[in-house]
Amino acid sequence: MTDQPTRVLLVEDDVSLRDTLVEVLADEGHEVRSAPDGAIALQELRGWDVDVIVLDIMTPVMDAFEFRRHQLAEGVAPDARILILSAGRELQRAAERIGADAWLSKPFRLLDVIETVERLADDSAA
Amino acid sequence: MPNDDLPLLRGEVAFRLLVEAVVDYAIFLIGPDGRVLTWNLGAERAKGYAADEIIGQHFSRFYTPEEQEAGRPQFVLARAAEYGRFEDEGWRVRKDGTRFWADVVITALREDPDSPPYAYVKITRDLTERREAEQQQRALIGEQRARAAAEEALVARDRFLAIASHELRTPVATLQLATETMLRSHRRGRLDADRLDTGFRRILSATERLGALIAELLDVSRLASGGPSLHRQPTDIVALTREVADRFSDRDEAARMRLVAPDEAWLDVDAPRLDQVVTNLLDNALKYSPSESPIEIRVTDADAGVELRIADRGIGLDAATRDRLFEAFGRGANAEHYQGLGLGLFISHRIVEEHGGRIEAAQRSDGHGAVFTVTLPRQGART
Repeated sequence: MTDQPTRVLLVEDDVSLRDTLVEVLADEGHEVRSAPDGAIALQELRGWDVDVIVLDIMTPVMDAFEFRRHQLAEGVAPDARILILSAGRELQRAAERIGADAWLSKPFRLLDVIETVERLADDSAA
Repeated sequence: MPNDDLPLLRGEVAFRLLVEAVVDYAIFLIGPDGRVLTWNLGAERAKGYAADEIIGQHFSRFYTPEEQEAGRPQFVLARAAEYGRFEDEGWRVRKDGTRFWADVVITALREDPDSPPYAYVKITRDLTERREAEQQQRALIGEQRARAAAEEALVARDRFLAIASHELRTPVATLQLATETMLRSHRRGRLDADRLDTGFRRILSATERLGALIAELLDVSRLASGGPSLHRQPTDIVALTREVADRFSDRDEAARMRLVAPDEAWLDVDAPRLDQVVTNLLDNALKYSPSESPIEIRVTDADAGVELRIADRGIGLDAATRDRLFEAFGRGANAEHYQGLGLGLFISHRIVEEHGGRIEAAQRSDGHGAVFTVTLPRQGART
């Protein structure tokens, strides 16, 4: 994982938060793409293999649960690690249902996002 | 012909024995003067008198003093005489003075249809237990309803807190992340003018979002507590609508909006509140429809008042959604994953109502999108 950048797909409907997260992760040297909802994220994944998917649970059009069902059924990016970001309650249960590898509750610390994405990327490479 | 009379006599005896043995009904005869002629086991049980105590007494003693005073016993006999039969329900008095709830049927007996009654059959049933059971049942249902309403209020409050905290957390997350990012860039010596500008814009937009959410929550509490009344002033609804639409130009969305309106349309309204209504409706139209799809705004001026119609080509409204749309958190099932508190239409509805007007939601006639119509009456023009 030293010469190849980590590929991160970020799914978040809030524009400000999405742009900020893209900037943060790109600053860390990752290759980042983003989508406002699950449906657009799926389109993105069909042509691009990723290491980590950062998912907001409640997105319009297609939420994280439905996205995950489609992603697994289609077999796109099957080895990608999943990080859930959510402002909702019962985050852990939702994350487990989605089959996430990690989850962070909004608001979260910058370092927590960066470190979690990098840890998941390392896991994915190992 | 004693051989023929014997079976009849036997039948009469058997019938009397049968009636006397009935315990669940008080069955007895009253003479035309109102005196008790016969008595059965059921009557003894219901009213507490033994046969020898009551036979020959006037039947009015079964009634409450108030009903005796009002001439009720005479009235029911007169009714039975007139119609052949009379049914009644009410309080009756036992020997020991206690009362019971009775169902009573009095039937007049006559030799032939034209002669006056020679006696009356009175059948009385004690319904006290049934009445008590019914009352308990009613009380129970009332209690269950109250409990269900209280539970519903708790669920609504829970939902409110969940939605409010969910919505507040996202801009707070942006604030935190944007600030931390700027700080980090600064420490690395990479906080250039571009990054400063972007960072501050994000912080500003998250702060504005928080401010708007808090204002919305305060609005709901203002409406819930009755709040201050409207400050009406002559307002050009066309200018107000145009101003609100222009405000969306920041979001590069103004190009989607087409305003069809006369030059002006004046009405006495509370302008800031009406501004809120138009803002909510346009915000919804933008939020729930694909970007670049047109949004039509039409203002119509009439003698009776002004009509404002906003039509989009978005996700639309199903019938179930339409019914709950103007309730607090009543957003459509198809809107659940969109940002927002679900209070905008609730607030708008209340503001329009305060103006004596109406707000209505409909599916577009071609099925693609929603149409919201606000009708504001001219003061004094209301019929």
